Amino acid sequence: MIALALDGLRRAIFAISIVAIFVLFVGPIMILGVTSVRPASGAFYIWRGTNFTLNNFVEVLHQSQVLEAMWNSFVLSTLATILSLGITVGSGYMLSRFGGWIQRSWFATIYVFRTVPYISWVLPLYLVNTRLGIYDSYLGLLLPHIAVHVCFFSWLMKGFFDGVNPSMEYAALIDGCTRWGAFCRVALPAAMPGIAALAILCWLSTWNEFLFALILSGKRTPLITSTMAQFVTETGTEWNLMSATAVLAMLPALLVTIFGQKYVIRGLRM
Amino acid sequence: MGMENKLARALLIGGAFGAVCSSTAAQAETALSICYINHPVQVANVAILQKWAIKQGVKLTKTVTSYTVYLPKITQMLTSGTNDQCDIIWNNDDWGQDLAHYLERLDDVPNARKVEVGQLEPFHTADGKTTAVSMTTTAGILFYRTDLIPEAELPKTWDDLVKISQTLQSEKKVKWGYVGGMSYTNTFFSFWWTLWNNNCDIYAPAYERDNKKLAADGWKPMIYSPCQVQTAEFWWDALNGKKISPLGMTTYSRDEANAIFQAGDAAFTVADTTFLGTFNNPERSSVAGKVGIAPFPVGPMSDGVRTWIDVWGWSIPKTLPSDRKTAAKKLLGAMLGDSDGQIEQWKQTGAPPPNTDVWPTLEKNDLTWRRLRMILFKPDHVHAAYYFRNWATVHKVYSDTLIRAMKGKREDIAATLKASSDAIRAGAVAND
Amino acid sequence: MIVRSTKLGLDEKERFMLFLIAPAAIVLACFEIIPILIGMNASFRDWSLVNPQRTWVGLKQYVAVFTDPVFLKIVLPNTFLLMTASVGLSLAFGLALASLLNRPFFGRAVVRTIILLPLTIAPVITATMIRWSFNDQFGVITNFLSYLGLADIGWLSDRWPSFALVIMTDIWIWTPWFTIILLAALQGLPPEPFEAARIDAATPWCIFRRITMPMLRPVIIVCVLIRAIDAFRTFDQVWILTGGGPARSTEVFSVYTYVLAFVDLDIGRGAAAAGVGAIIMLFVGGVLYKLVNRSVEVSR
Repeated sequence: MIALALDGLRRAIFAISIVAIFVLFVGPIMILGVTSVRPASGAFYIWRGTNFTLNNFVEVLHQSQVLEAMWNSFVLSTLATILSLGITVGSGYMLSRFGGWIQRSWFATIYVFRTVPYISWVLPLYLVNTRLGIYDSYLGLLLPHIAVHVCFFSWLMKGFFDGVNPSMEYAALIDGCTRWGAFCRVALPAAMPGIAALAILCWLSTWNEFLFALILSGKRTPLITSTMAQFVTETGTEWNLMSATAVLAMLPALLVTIFGQKYVIRGLRM
Repeated sequence: MGMENKLARALLIGGAFGAVCSSTAAQAETALSICYINHPVQVANVAILQKWAIKQGVKLTKTVTSYTVYLPKITQMLTSGTNDQCDIIWNNDDWGQDLAHYLERLDDVPNARKVEVGQLEPFHTADGKTTAVSMTTTAGILFYRTDLIPEAELPKTWDDLVKISQTLQSEKKVKWGYVGGMSYTNTFFSFWWTLWNNNCDIYAPAYERDNKKLAADGWKPMIYSPCQVQTAEFWWDALNGKKISPLGMTTYSRDEANAIFQAGDAAFTVADTTFLGTFNNPERSSVAGKVGIAPFPVGPMSDGVRTWIDVWGWSIPKTLPSDRKTAAKKLLGAMLGDSDGQIEQWKQTGAPPPNTDVWPTLEKNDLTWRRLRMILFKPDHVHAAYYFRNWATVHKVYSDTLIRAMKGKREDIAATLKASSDAIRAGAVAND
Repeated sequence: MIVRSTKLGLDEKERFMLFLIAPAAIVLACFEIIPILIGMNASFRDWSLVNPQRTWVGLKQYVAVFTDPVFLKIVLPNTFLLMTASVGLSLAFGLALASLLNRPFFGRAVVRTIILLPLTIAPVITATMIRWSFNDQFGVITNFLSYLGLADIGWLSDRWPSFALVIMTDIWIWTPWFTIILLAALQGLPPEPFEAARIDAATPWCIFRRITMPMLRPVIIVCVLIRAIDAFRTFDQVWILTGGGPARSTEVFSVYTYVLAFVDLDIGRGAAAAGVGAIIMLFVGGVLYKLVNRSVEVSR
């Protein structure tokens, strides 16, 4: 009897938490969604009046370079994800598996530079980019985005490799594998679920990144976030247009999340 | 066959030659890049420039930058001497002095000086040359609901404003009397318009903007003078006592204030003149057709209405090669000489034409213009900024102080204001 | 391999180590370390963005930041409060959600996607939306709350409610981040210890505490440290929701730095403030590492 009651209680808690998740996670998105189909006169008082319109989307798609910006952001996010993961996986592995002065100084470097806030170095970064002649180009956006991820990802990768038992790699080394072989064939697959999760996070954070986009992109390579920021003007925010753009920008992000999740699961089964 | 062949060859060569010529001609065509923010007035003025660019064979590239990073980005561009990003930039009186020595002098642009007296000074170099030409004049103005308040009964004083508001509120005609921006950078739409209409200012002597004169007077802050305390008390009462404004107003930017006014929940607001179009646009506002403009109500110590007007301008970086400088100046000159284009800009956005020579035309046949001119340009003016390096810092200190006073007790207002006096003085003195 | 020099006395293993970090190190050096050094150079100088005189002033800017009462009495406590609350609560929610999603149930894939929704919106947009939703006049949520009969709260205009709102927004944005990483870590755990525990009829709570937590420890430590460093410089949410107001009472570290660098255009002082933040975080990070390490150890 008590067991049954406990089970019922557990079910109730489970149901409540699922409902809470829906309300808390979907609710704010709904507010944004509703705003995006309200006319300019109802963008703030969204609960007043019942007129809805798709004009915001039409206007946004006509007025500004939203599609071009979305394409740029898409290319940038994808390249940044592949390259960031590509260059940090080795660095994380090194941090996890080896010791000595190289490991210690690399870890110290990562840690020290991670603590410096962005705002103190985006303006110098603009300077570096103009000097190198890569301001407002794919390369000029890509490299800083990768650089930002280096510290953070190396560190997380270290965490993932720490969770993988190294004995298999030692066995592989004894069996005559090179270090590179042991890393690629043994350690990497084991850390795959974490890396896949990181890929989604990396893509999304690049897609949604604001400050670099504002400072480092110009007329040639508009990004989706810097395009959104143009709806904030000195005399106010065109919130209906901004939320329509945000909703448009959510679609690729959602696709990546859903598709990426499948990949995470597949990565598990490997 | 031979003949045809020759002809064909001749055509081919001729065509190729032509192509080469036209491609070099295309290269010789000047390309100018214009950097600005997405604001209706700037967009309208860029449209005029675009029209003339086509006529002058200039390829005009538009770079819209977000307002949030516009100033740091442009400043960084100018100070580092990069000259391949912007040929014409938007310039604002607030930072006109900071940028002046990185900018080309524009006195030789035709009609450059055709502005109201005292308007170009914020853009002047040390020797009195201007570094900007006007694109429009920005100013704040009182908006009111014509369906609720007859023109004859418009508030003349702060007391009137409170009384009319309270009456309308008690009759349930409107939820709030006055709504305006109050958070940092929106100080104009609450604290400052009342300050300037109570014979008061930030530094003594009031309304002076000449740094030499202000320095000679020791940059004396007026933050705890009776006229300022009165202003603060007026707002404290509006929020906490007489409740003609919502309590959350201390956090409002123009977005919130405009949203509430446009939804029909407030009887009065102060905003940029360019909002006249927005407020009366049925697609944007539910009070469209019921919004009028009026002079500011004045405080007990006032000796007359005072408005603030300031120029928004275009400037050209000093580091440009001379051919692009010349082309950019020619383009700006064409805009300033285009009276039809400027009248169109006024009609579209409510932004006054940059060239004052155009004004008499509007004066003759535009009713709204006449009213705007009466309200805005006839009274005495004040510049809405001071022109020293740390002005933005002082503005923030001022804003924080006044909001702190709003959140505290009424009897503590004077003390709260006095506590910031040193910081406000220090902000100005640091430049000497 | 890339590193040929054996004069440095590098053995094969060390060369392999350098090879692993080389690409990351190069990008890091060019696009992070060099700009940071340029920025830090400014912190020792009198450097206004509009008038770069660049006079060397030594530690003057640092002294000015360290002796600023606002920085010490308001900014730092606020920053640490935000950091602790945001990281602690998002970690707790993240762990709970990850554990929930780690067991099979009907509709799990949908719930998992829903939890990731906050990550698909730019934080700036989220913060703006929250700001409008909590407006005292037209906010959807404030109107809903007062419809439910709850007392009006100055969500944005009073110090503590607005600070709570900043923290809640931060938690909303970052909980999915913890969830997805911890879920990945959970799914990567070997099944054997859990099976053994189940045979011993251990309670779920006991399994969680004695087996799951210790095994997740490396990932949790990294997550907490990284998020703590990031939370220390949270900017968008605070700037958009409160602007540090009312009257600087909710100002946090990066708003302080931002105002110096981007509003006052005082690059020197701004860089010094950033440097001070980095120094504090270096120290706090070390302490945090020990704390987290021990607390996970103790719970075992």
